[in-house]
Amino acid sequence: MEDLELIRQMAEKKAAALDAFYERYKRTAFALVYRIVGNREDAEDVLVDVFWQAWQQAGRYDQSRGKPLAWLLTIARTRAIDSVRSQSSRRTEDLEKQPETPAPAPSTDPFVQADTREAVLDALRTLPEQQRVPLEMAYYQGMSHTEIAAALNQPLGTVKDRIRNGMMHLRKRLKPYL
Amino acid sequence: MKHPQLTDELQEQASLYAAGAMTESERREYARHLEQDDCTVCRREAREFQAATALLAIGLDPLSPSQAVKDRLMAAVATVSPAVPAPKPRRWVVWLAAMEAVAASVLLFVAFSNNAELRRTTESLRTQVQELQTRILEQQVQMASLTSTDVQIANLVGQNDTPGARARLFWDQQRRHWSVYVNNLPPAPANRSYQLWFVPKTGNPVSAGVFNTAANGSAVVEADVPAGLDLMAAAVTPEPFGGVPQPTGRFALLGALN
Repeated sequence: MEDLELIRQMAEKKAAALDAFYERYKRTAFALVYRIVGNREDAEDVLVDVFWQAWQQAGRYDQSRGKPLAWLLTIARTRAIDSVRSQSSRRTEDLEKQPETPAPAPSTDPFVQADTREAVLDALRTLPEQQRVPLEMAYYQGMSHTEIAAALNQPLGTVKDRIRNGMMHLRKRLKPYL
Repeated sequence: MKHPQLTDELQEQASLYAAGAMTESERREYARHLEQDDCTVCRREAREFQAATALLAIGLDPLSPSQAVKDRLMAAVATVSPAVPAPKPRRWVVWLAAMEAVAASVLLFVAFSNNAELRRTTESLRTQVQELQTRILEQQVQMASLTSTDVQIANLVGQNDTPGARARLFWDQQRRHWSVYVNNLPPAPANRSYQLWFVPKTGNPVSAGVFNTAANGSAVVEADVPAGLDLMAAAVTPEPFGGVPQPTGRFALLGALN
């Protein structure tokens, strides 16, 4: 069943549709949440919230704002960042510890097209480090340009330029998959 | 405000928004712009950048959550999904069930009301703290910039139709950044904007940003100075709404840079 049909059925509160949607994207969404949150226990709490929000907001899904996976991952990032901000002290302790070893996982997700993943990996490989670093600080750590400039001891204008150039690079490389 | 065309500044805003790199107040204002101003230029740009960032997660190695996550999710969903019709119970069972349902609903309502209120309060306080932290950090950066020995200060004086206008420009040469504090410059009408210009010793002026003043005639304009520009002056001109590539209006403010 297409993603769009699953979301339509989720809007009608059909639990089977959520079940299928969850099974389809749980690994990709969990990878993102775990990357941001940094520990498994909190990441699982956030993942419940993510799919619960998707379930609650399925009726307001707007195709013109992106594909279902992009919509879900936007929710996932937002919830994960919110979680980190609300537990910043706890997060610091977690980051000081050795990262947990994630459970073994397949190297590919059968529901994510292999060519899409390859394109993303290629886009990231070709992204200059000076653009990748501030971009990842913003995306995965929820840091603002001002915080990034202070942390990297770089001029604000430079940080903004690099984020913008990095985003343009990603968009150009990933255009066929957007 | 609707933007007629994409500019470097708008593209930068869209990229910062999609990357999650805006400050909380910027993010809110930009989200409001996307939602309420019907600006197709910014919407399209932000949507494309957002779609690109969303794909970043696909580059991560997929990771399996425990079965408990799904169990919790589906248990929560079961409480709101349409129930499978059960065999018709006897009348006294129906009454008992109804009373239990009412009691449960009241309890749930009270619990959820309190919980929701607490959550709203917590969220509101959290947002306020985040905004204050961001403001403090911004002001620390600003203060460090203004008190740096690398900061050159220039005064801009009102010209032509706005002789009473004044502005003070702080140029942080190390950070290549301008902070311009404008005063007594009457707000531009709805179809016009003010535009700040880098005026180089050679070549054409370069836009440093578009702004408008508040009702009291004040504004603060922040601009990053492009590398390689040998500047001799700063200027402000009134221009068509949203700005233009090259100045067309008469000077509203002008100041030399040493």
